[in-house]
Amino acid sequence: MRPMSTGTYTQLLDLACGAFLLAAVVVLWRRELVAIVRTFALQGIALAAIPLLIGLHEQRWGLIAVATGIGALRAGLLPYLMRRALAALTPSGGEEHHYEEDVSEARETQPLVNVAASLLTAAALTLLAYAVARPLVALNPGPAARALPVGLAVVLIGLFVLATRRRALAQVVGFLLLDNGITATAFLAASGVPLIVELGVSFDVLLAVLVLQILTTRMRTAFGTTDIDDLRELHD
Amino acid sequence: MNVIGPALGAASALAGAGVAAGMLVPAWGRSAAVGACTAGTGGAGLVAGVAALGGARWSIGLPGLLPLAGVRLAVDPLSGLFMAVAGAVAAAVAVYGIGYTGRGAHGASSRGAQAVLPLFALTLVLVPAAASVSTFLVLWEVMALASLLLVLSEHRERAEVRRAGLWYAVMTHLGLVLLLAGLALFAARAGGQSFAALRAGAAGMSAWIRAVVFVTVAAGFASKAGGVPLHAWLPRAHPEAPSHVSALMSAAMVNLGIYGIVRVGFDLLGGGPMWWWLGLIAVGAVSAVYGILQAAMASDLKRLLAYSTSENMGLVLVGVGAAGLFAASGNGPLAALALVAALLHMINHAAFKALLFCAAGSVLRATGLRDLDRLGGLRQRMPVTAGLFALGALGAVALPPGNGFISEWLLLQSLIHGLVVPGVATAIVLPLAVAVIALSAGLAAAVFVKALGVGFSARPRSKQAERAAESPPAMLAGMGLLAACCAGLALVPGVLGSGLDRAASAAGLTGAKALSGGGLQVRLQQVPASLAPLWVVIALTAALAVAAGLPRLIGRRRRRRKNARLWDCGGGAPTPRMAYTATSFAEPLQRVFDDVLAPEQDVNVTPVRESAYLVERVRYQRRVPDRIEHRLYEPMLAALARLGGAARRLAGGSVHLYLGYGFFGLVALLLVLAVGW
Amino acid sequence: MSGTGLTAVAAQIVVVISGAPLLAGWMRQVRARMEGRAGAGVLQPWRDTRKLLRKEPITPIGTGPAFRTAPALLVATTAVVAALVPLLSTTTPVSAHADLILVVALLALGTVALALAGLDSGTAFGGMGASREMTVAALVEPTILVAVFAFSIPAGSTNLAAIVAGAVREPSRLASPAGLLATAALAVAVLAETGRIPVDNPATHLELTMVHEAMVLEYSGPDLALVELGAQMRLTVLLGLLASLFAPWGIATDASWPALAVALAAFVVKVAVLGAVLAAAEVFWAKVRLFRVPELLAGSFLLALLAVTSSYFLSGE
Repeated sequence: MRPMSTGTYTQLLDLACGAFLLAAVVVLWRRELVAIVRTFALQGIALAAIPLLIGLHEQRWGLIAVATGIGALRAGLLPYLMRRALAALTPSGGEEHHYEEDVSEARETQPLVNVAASLLTAAALTLLAYAVARPLVALNPGPAARALPVGLAVVLIGLFVLATRRRALAQVVGFLLLDNGITATAFLAASGVPLIVELGVSFDVLLAVLVLQILTTRMRTAFGTTDIDDLRELHD
Repeated sequence: MNVIGPALGAASALAGAGVAAGMLVPAWGRSAAVGACTAGTGGAGLVAGVAALGGARWSIGLPGLLPLAGVRLAVDPLSGLFMAVAGAVAAAVAVYGIGYTGRGAHGASSRGAQAVLPLFALTLVLVPAAASVSTFLVLWEVMALASLLLVLSEHRERAEVRRAGLWYAVMTHLGLVLLLAGLALFAARAGGQSFAALRAGAAGMSAWIRAVVFVTVAAGFASKAGGVPLHAWLPRAHPEAPSHVSALMSAAMVNLGIYGIVRVGFDLLGGGPMWWWLGLIAVGAVSAVYGILQAAMASDLKRLLAYSTSENMGLVLVGVGAAGLFAASGNGPLAALALVAALLHMINHAAFKALLFCAAGSVLRATGLRDLDRLGGLRQRMPVTAGLFALGALGAVALPPGNGFISEWLLLQSLIHGLVVPGVATAIVLPLAVAVIALSAGLAAAVFVKALGVGFSARPRSKQAERAAESPPAMLAGMGLLAACCAGLALVPGVLGSGLDRAASAAGLTGAKALSGGGLQVRLQQVPASLAPLWVVIALTAALAVAAGLPRLIGRRRRRRKNARLWDCGGGAPTPRMAYTATSFAEPLQRVFDDVLAPEQDVNVTPVRESAYLVERVRYQRRVPDRIEHRLYEPMLAALARLGGAARRLAGGSVHLYLGYGFFGLVALLLVLAVGW
Repeated sequence: MSGTGLTAVAAQIVVVISGAPLLAGWMRQVRARMEGRAGAGVLQPWRDTRKLLRKEPITPIGTGPAFRTAPALLVATTAVVAALVPLLSTTTPVSAHADLILVVALLALGTVALALAGLDSGTAFGGMGASREMTVAALVEPTILVAVFAFSIPAGSTNLAAIVAGAVREPSRLASPAGLLATAALAVAVLAETGRIPVDNPATHLELTMVHEAMVLEYSGPDLALVELGAQMRLTVLLGLLASLFAPWGIATDASWPALAVALAAFVVKVAVLGAVLAAAEVFWAKVRLFRVPELLAGSFLLALLAVTSSYFLSGE
């Protein structure tokens, strides 16, 4: 197989990074948890495309294997788990009770920072990421390194989601965004970490999601809601 | 022959005659005499300024005029630009003032107010000509005092005037203190107080001192230009001053804040590091957005215009800051383009804002009202004023074919092409600056649609508005002059090209020809962009004629327009009370910007005595206070008041105590001297 | 100044004016078919216009010059924009002055004129529509200008002809993240500017939701025909602009007659496809609440800003 031409490679890599960042923004934009999970799955695909492209360009087959693994985990397994958690939270009633169904669990109704302000904050965070990544990019100016700020921006947006969203599941997505951002940064800055580290991190993430899923269901049974502000009650 | 000297001499003589006329001429002819002298002063200033813009230079030293320091004046194209703007505005507004003050004997037409007006006009013309620190500060202070007296001229009639005057006096003197400190430090370090000495000495100063000088002086000047958060005096003083004075202040005086920043920052200090200019851009951007948001909330017509001044000066500051930024990174031509754009916007703002304030004054004179919620229907009762206000508003909304569009277009062009300047700061700041300009332009459109649509259209909402009548000819003539300026600037801005280039190079930005095109069009040399304002107007007019004419031709039967009742939902004819007011017009914007504006609302429900469920009366109150004033100034004032209250205990009333203070002070001073020697 | 250039300008104006009602009819037809209705036919808007033009002109009592001139001004600004934008050719006599900022400002002028007319009528509906329309217009402005910024970076100019000609020469500009993000941002802005779902519903006459329709409620007869025509022309021009920026293929870049003919056919196809996509999307979308619109616009602003930064940082200088 011939390596791709540099022009096409740059273009495709930029596109993947653009989609990756865009997915993070859309997570901020949407209120329905279902849509958020779906967007997260799409982001997983974009994330998997990054090592795939780097691998194809530099002809490193190990990276392609990593890409497949990441794709399966981030775009397949994790969204599946979250969807299951979501289905458990919102029992779909019969057809006749359709309008009485409590949909508040399926939506991020009242984020601590409203959506328009969140989006503007995301813009500011992206600019910040670009500003701080300047010296890093200057170290090794290639197409991959130049896209590095995208990874940092997603890390910052993930933290922002963690800090401002109320629903436990939105929090999980925030955490995963953070992790996606870190993974992307690793690939873009150093063409990835050793396979074993990547595997370990992936298992950690999977474990964390499973724990959070169980916690969410427990919270729901204990408080009747997954609004994590209610956890304050545990304080007294 | 150099006309600048004689013209400035004539301006001074006419102003002197005006002061004398204000003092001596009896009430029936006072305003005409003063108006003629002031217009002459302004006209002479305009002549001097235009001559300077044409390339003439002039300077004079009058050592005997001011003790110790002497007076030193010098005119270069940069001062000429500000002189010409101030002169033109003063001339037109003076004509307007003849009608506005009329033949009364109180308020704006009283002896004192009339006598101060020519002096104010003269200082507006002379401040840019000052060529030494002492001359500049003296003229600046005379200008501030004259404007303060004029703001206070209706203090007998209304209590708010006194409060506004107090705010203005305090803020303007705080600004003066900053200027005094900054310029004194500058002069001390540079080893001389003439501008030539400052220019020569600036290069040898340490970066620290330069930064301190720039920050203090820029803060002082920005407060005069209405930069947030030092803008608090502006929305108070401008509405309470008589309208012709508001026009002078808003269109000519605030410009001098810009002049000071350009003169000190570019010319005397010779530019500076990037962070100065980034700071200036930030102040400008915040002023622009905050100013126009407050204007969008205001329902007082003159307050709205005052906040809009803050917005436009913010845009000018963004332009000046961008010029400094580009100059700091070594791109001279682009810097010159940004500065030219800022200066052109300042000129445009002077033209349309003077017109708008004059038109608002006409409304105030005809109805006694400034509250848009109670106006309405004035387009039938005051058609000429309404038309002139519409012309000014067209300039203010920055849409073609208005004059404001051209300068905002230039400003946007300089920012958009600024990305060639390397650096992460420009890459982040420039898109944000573009967004700020766009947001302020969009909000300005909403603001002036509100002012024009609610104030002049529909039907009158009060008795006073119903009884309004058109203004006297002198007022219309003054406004006509300003409207002609607006139209000229909108159609043939290219005639200013060479003058603006000279002004920019006088500020040290020699960016060969930022703007050229010989009158009919604006074509930029550095960046590939061009604009033909006159052709846009011609095309629009032609298309308008066709669009208005075609339906009549197509419709087979020609019929006269028939009148019909408004759609009333079957509930009887709509009353003026049902029309949208300024407050209701602004409500969606207020809700969108809830987090920024922090409105206060209060609902009072009074139930009927017998039952808690039946409501007798609901009282709803909402206020959108100036949040910066609320959060910044009020705590500060409260702290000062507490401090003052504490200090009062020192003055117990005992004479022995007071004498003791003097005694102890003297002894303490002597002790310090003895120990310190 | 060539014959083809002048012809191209004239053809752009004629196509936009005559095609605008057809586009509206086409979109309604697509919508009707997707909703399982027969539809009134593509020509219906033209029939409506003809009917309205034949009615007698009526002036509601108490309205003034702003009310009477606004419809003609709306059509006039849009016609001037149609002449400026390179819909068919990039080498026209006016292409040197076809500045993107000027185009945006001219469209805003039409909006302002209608808003003033709404206030001029002095009814609650007129004021309500004007207030809402100006709120949306003010918030759209940053998105549009920052998107303009993004488009102008690769071309080095805000001149539309230069941007489009550059994109024809180097199609890779379009597929870059900057190009895609800017197009997406501009598409949202176009929806807001033309008052389509999800920002405004052109088919509604419910007090709570009307924006544009509330503003023009007092118009009837020939005036209403002009207002409707103006709104349809705006949609056509803006969709055409979007097509020119995002899919510039087919636009004539030299002064030859066959190229112009191809450009005309390509323009019709592109706008029809865009219109069909928009109509199909409208079947599935709902209008959002007025106070949710800022979220949408903040999102599109973010996209535009990302377009500028990514084109700067990823451009690889």
